[in-house]
Amino acid sequence: MVQSAVADEVFYALSNATRRKVLEQLSVGPATVSELAAPFDMKLPSFVQHLSVLERSRLVKSKKRGRVRTYVIAPERFKVVEDWLTARRALWEARLNQFDQYVKQLKEKESAS
Amino acid sequence: MSTQFAINPKLDFAIERFIDAPTRLVWEALTKPEHLKEWYMPRAWGRVVRAEMDVRPGGIFSVDIAVGNGPEFPNVGCFLEVIPMERLVWTSMLFPGYRPAVFDDIPITAIVTMERVGTGTRYVFTALHRDEADFEKNKESGWQEGTEIAVDQLVEHVTSMK
Repeated sequence: MVQSAVADEVFYALSNATRRKVLEQLSVGPATVSELAAPFDMKLPSFVQHLSVLERSRLVKSKKRGRVRTYVIAPERFKVVEDWLTARRALWEARLNQFDQYVKQLKEKESAS
Repeated sequence: MSTQFAINPKLDFAIERFIDAPTRLVWEALTKPEHLKEWYMPRAWGRVVRAEMDVRPGGIFSVDIAVGNGPEFPNVGCFLEVIPMERLVWTSMLFPGYRPAVFDDIPITAIVTMERVGTGTRYVFTALHRDEADFEKNKESGWQEGTEIAVDQLVEHVTSMK
């Protein structure tokens, strides 16, 4: 898949409060579908759709043993978000540094005159 | 070639309407997100927050709905068959690109057919379930009632598009 489509899926998966809560819970450790659903007041089919969106974005992985499906966090895809933010930050920091230098130059000019 | 498969009334939910509008408009209301948003969710219950449709076999079918100002629920699936102004089939059993999905709940395959009748359109929506238990759960949860209301809203919306 092209990188922008991957980013679309990851950012879409993160755009929902329920799904972010699930990721927070999974960051602590693996959990079953019913454990993940317990804190939320919603019907199971709706909740399972949230899990499927997360799974599609590959921020989580699941395994079925017997009748129980267990979810774990899949950290690799979080790098998509991190890389995007890091690139933005690099740009803004470079800009701020340039601005900083420019202001210093102005100050030097002023004290020289 | 006939692509029709037998419907099983014990497992499948079918709803039929005559819409007094050209088939072209019915197809548009069904396949364009800006139109789908107007009718897909019963207005008294909630709204469509986001809709994305790539109307080709394997393309994404994704509709996020919300009840009142409450949390949003996704519905993600994949188109299987696209015959413009005739037949549209999608399933929640597959992710876009035919990628096998993971579902433990109540998957459906939806088949929409439309047919020109005079200056109007005969519209049939069918939802296939895995088994009677799934069908029963969809009846109890309000899904079936919601689908019926949505079809009425579709008829109303298409008529207003004329």
